[in-house]
Order: sequence, then structure tokens, then C-alpha cells
Amino acid sequence: MVSVKFTNVSKRYEDGFEAVKGLDLEVNDGEFLVLLGPSGCGKSTTLRMLAGLEEVTDGAISIDDVTVNNLPAGARGLGMVFQSYALYPHMSVRDNLTFGLRMVKGKERLSEAEMEARVKEAASMLELQDHLHKKPKELSGGQRQRVALGRALIRRPKVLLMDEPLSNLDAELRHQMRQEIRRLHDELGTTTIYVTHDQIEAMALADRVAILDRGVLQQHAPPLEAYRAPANEFVQSFLCRHLDDLVETANTLLRPAGDGVQEA
Amino acid sequence: MMSTATVRRWYAPVEVFTLRRWLLVSVVVNLLLLSVDLLRGGDTVYVGVLGVVLCGVLLNSLPQEHKPASRNVALVLGGAVMLCGLYRVLATPLSLFDLWMHAWMIVPGALTVLWMSSPPVSAWSTRELSVKAIEFGLARNQLLAPRMQAFGAHLVLLHFVVLTVLPLVWILDIALSPGNALGGTLGGPYTGEHFSKMLGSDAFWTWMRNSLIVSVGTTLMGLAVAIPAGYAFSRYKFTGRDVSMFAFLLVQMFPGIIILVPYFLVMKTLGLLNSHLGLILAYCVTALPLCVWMLKGFFDTVPRELEEAALLDGCSQFQVFTKVVLPLSLPAVAVTALFSFLAAWNEFLLALTFNTSNDMYTLPVGLHSMVSSTGQAWGDFAAASLLVSLPVALLFLFFQKFLIEGLSAGGVKG
Repeated sequence: MVSVKFTNVSKRYEDGFEAVKGLDLEVNDGEFLVLLGPSGCGKSTTLRMLAGLEEVTDGAISIDDVTVNNLPAGARGLGMVFQSYALYPHMSVRDNLTFGLRMVKGKERLSEAEMEARVKEAASMLELQDHLHKKPKELSGGQRQRVALGRALIRRPKVLLMDEPLSNLDAELRHQMRQEIRRLHDELGTTTIYVTHDQIEAMALADRVAILDRGVLQQHAPPLEAYRAPANEFVQSFLCRHLDDLVETANTLLRPAGDGVQEA
Repeated sequence: MMSTATVRRWYAPVEVFTLRRWLLVSVVVNLLLLSVDLLRGGDTVYVGVLGVVLCGVLLNSLPQEHKPASRNVALVLGGAVMLCGLYRVLATPLSLFDLWMHAWMIVPGALTVLWMSSPPVSAWSTRELSVKAIEFGLARNQLLAPRMQAFGAHLVLLHFVVLTVLPLVWILDIALSPGNALGGTLGGPYTGEHFSKMLGSDAFWTWMRNSLIVSVGTTLMGLAVAIPAGYAFSRYKFTGRDVSMFAFLLVQMFPGIIILVPYFLVMKTLGLLNSHLGLILAYCVTALPLCVWMLKGFFDTVPRELEEAALLDGCSQFQVFTKVVLPLSLPAVAVTALFSFLAAWNEFLLALTFNTSNDMYTLPVGLHSMVSSTGQAWGDFAAASLLVSLPVALLFLFFQKFLIEGLSAGGVKG
């Protein structure tokens, strides 16, 4: 079943710059989609349009067959993780997690006990039990990112959006968080759209990748398929050649010392 | 390899370069003091000029490396500078100020003599030091240089502290001295009569009430306008945004006296002369530009992603502002509030012009009336002005933490 659908979506800014051009894209229920491309390719803009932070110039975006173009961000039932974490500095971790829940009014509002249960659940899932009373500035980068993840997930969003969530972390943590994000996805089965410029991240995480360049979708396929059968020259150089280079570098480093001397 | 010659060229005892700085400061200070002395017609100014010139020469002839001759020249010059100062002390009748002024010549001179003849400098200037001795000297420099610098810096700063505190002490002295003379009686006998008179006078409390109403009113009304305005200027693009930001500043560039007459006419037309509201409105208008700019500057530092996160959490635009942006901006709001309060509390010209009836005076106008129309009650005046500063001082103490956070908030990212 299709969860998110972009139909001929375009974004033109006031200064005339066209960030996204006629994008057609479908994301299936429970799928992990990675939007991949160099900076300025329109991947973040696509995500922000879906989130409701950016207006759609042309075309339609629908979630569960409802066109959401004119729905305010908070009503779309999405959770989002930002690159800079964007935790509320004046609130404790617990308040950061429940802030979104508390904004719900009327029948759908959870009772305090239900909220507490959700906090417990999220905290144990993300190993934040000991930090609930702390302010964000007392946490390390990895912990902050986990709080941001928890805040996005605690509302049980229909779609989870992540905008380069790992770029602020060091290599070791990035590796660790990458596995954690994939594990969470496998456990919860939340439809996830993940923006990155990092090819490795895309290969490791995605069910399918959508590769963009200059606002145009280049290829939309499972990662291995995109690697084996690049749709065009851009995908070939941006994805395949890059990965090959990495493999070659790794091989050079791993090769026994004797070989290197002989070649030189 | 480090050559011995290089080390030798680099090394100088800490006394030498400390002295160089001290002499430079002394020359500047003495030039200032001399011009003051010249203006009030001091008797021995020419000796002072000689002293400064010698000081300058001394500064240039301090030994650079081990040269016995230049060390001896410095010794002699230092002595001469000291003598210039001593001569002036002995030749003129002394006041506290004179003594302090001449000290600025005697002490550097004496210090030169003392240090130039000290063992480390003597050894360094008279013979070639061994590498071991230089190493020891460098270690000694490392130890002593920071202390000497700190001492010197604090000595200079102490002068500024005295300059700042002196007027306050003087006012306190006048306020505590019996009688209403401007001079005061340094050292007592003291009395609390002026304070009790002021605290017991109805007029004082009327002024205080007026001042409080006007200042608090200005603060509240100013914040109510400045906070949304600052946020709008920071976050939204609209036609005329840049122009109005600039227009705000433009109003600030005129001296207050120019807009006084138009203000008066406006207030007269509106029937707001001799009212609290009239003053509040006028103060708001004058304080607003700076408040709006300050708040805009702070709102600019609140990351946009925070607001976007709140939007996704289900906040409305207004809730984003009240639940996320405003709580984060409390330090800036506190600074702005304090600023508006102070501006209104201390303002004199507009208050004097608008509110002419006795029972509508604010404190500054009331204070002014005490030493102009109804005689020269300096004692009462001094006591009252101290009482007036008290609430502000308390406010500052209370807001200090916020103030520091607020003023430095833009610099550090959280």
C-alpha cells in the first residue's frame, strides 16, 4: 500500500531558483526510503515540503491518499529529526519527549499515565532512562540525537522524516546510530524518509534509494540495483564510482606489505 | 640546534621590559597631569616638563642587551626623574592631589634606580652570561612576569575605580553632613537628618509614586510592543521591513531637544500634559527603537529549526512563539525591560516640560526643584538622589545574572 505519494511536485523559490522539478515518487507503507544526492540537489526541500515547512509551488503531495498540500505541519501526523537535533533547550528530556503529546487537545489527548508509559517505552528503546531529568545541554551528541529520535517517534507518526540526522556526529557514533536507526525501523515498521548526501549511509539503511540531482529524480530503486544498474551517467559517477573508490582504498590498505613494494 | 647567541639576544631580565612598559604609562600619565597643572597655573611646571622629557629619554635608553654603559645612563636618568618629582614635592604646598601627581614621577624614577642596580640586571648588563644562568633567568622571568604585569594593571585600574567612586563618596558625604552646604564635611560629624527629612516628606513619596507609575508603565507598554515587533522583524519578510528598521534608528539620531517641541504640541493636542500616560507614551517612543533592535538581535540567534520542530509537534505559529521562543529569550527580555525602566526612571527633559504641576513631578524633576526654585538644599538633594538610585541598584543586583546572560547571549551558541 502506498503511504506517501509525490505527484509532479515542483518548488520554485521567490528568487526564481527551482529546487525541485516535477518530482514523481511513491513511498510504500513501512518502507525505508533514502533521498540521496549532492548538496543543493533538492532532497531537503522535498522532505521539508512533505513536512509542511515549505510550501509546494506545483503538484500534489498525499499521505495515505489524502492531499496534504494545505494542511498545517502539525496536523500531518509526521515526526521529524533535524540535523541540529533542535531540542528545546529550556526543557528537560522528559518535557522534550512529551511536548508534542501535550499539544494534542480534545478526545485524542493521552492521559498523564499513558504519556508516562510512552516516555518509559521510548526511553528504554533509546537507552535514555537515566537522562530523563537532564537538560539537552548536559547530554552528549549521540544522546541528543536519540532524544530527537524519541521525540519524533513518541507520537507514533505515520511517517518518520530524518534530515541528515547523523552529519553532526563523529564517525564512530555515526556508525553506531546508523545501526540503531535501522534496528528501530525493523522493530517499529514506521514508514521512514531519510535525507543524506552520504552514499554509505544510503546503501546501509535504505530499502530503496531515490537519487536526485539538480531537482530532478535520477533513479528510484533498491540500493544494490542502483549500484549494479545505474540509470545514467550521474548515478554512475555519484554512487558507483564513489563506492568503487572506497573499496579500492580499503583494499590498498589491507593488501599485505610485500605486494605494495613489488608494485612500486 | 639552538645557538647560544640567539638565546643571549632574546633574554632580558623581567625588570627591564616591565620597566619599559611602566615608563611608557608614566610618560602618558605625566603629560596629562602636566596639562592639568598648566591650566591651574602650577608653580613648578617647568620642572615637571623636564621630568617628562627625562622620562622619555630614559625610556629610549634602557639597555637592550648587556651594555654596562647604557645601564649606567639609565641609573642616572632614573635618579634625575626621581629628583624632579621630589623637588616639586618640596617646592610647593601640598594637597592630596599634588602628592598623588608627583608620585607618578617619583615612583617610576625610584623604581628605575632600584631595578637597574639589582643583581640580575647588573649581572646581565655587565658581563656575558653563561647558558645556565640564562636558563635560570628565563625561568625566573616566567615566574615573575605575570605577577608584575597583574600588579601594574591593577594599579592603573585602581585609578579608574577611584575616579568612579569619588563622586558617590562625595554625594554620600554631603547627604550625611549637617546643614545644606555643597561642600560637605569630610570625616564627620555625620547626621541622618537629611534622609529622615526626605523619607518623611510627602512631596518625595508623591514623586516616587509618579516615577514608579511612569517607569513601570513604560516598561510594560514598551515590552508589549517591542517583543512582537522584534520577532516580526527577525522572522518575517514584508514590504518596508528594512526601511522601517532604518527609520527606527533615524529617530534615535536626533538630539532629544529637537523633538521636544513637536512632542509638547502633540501632548497638548491630546490633552495628555500633566498626566502619567503622556509621559509613558513619550518614553515608549524614545526607548522602543533600541528595544526592538536588541530583541530582534536576540531572536535572530534562536535557531529556526527549533521553531520548525515545534510546528511539527503541533504548535500554532503563536504557540511556537509563546512556548518555545519566548522562554528562550527571557534574558534578552529582562535586559530590554531593565533598559526601558532605567530610561524612564532617569529621564528629565520631557518630564520637566510635560508635567508642570507639582504633584505630577517625577523624581528627577522633583530633585531639580529642590536645588533651583526653593533654595539650595544640597544636603536634602544628596540624600534624595541616593534614595532614588537605591531601587535601580537593587534592580540591577536582582537582574545581574540575566543581564550577563542576555548581553553575551548572541556570542555563544547553546
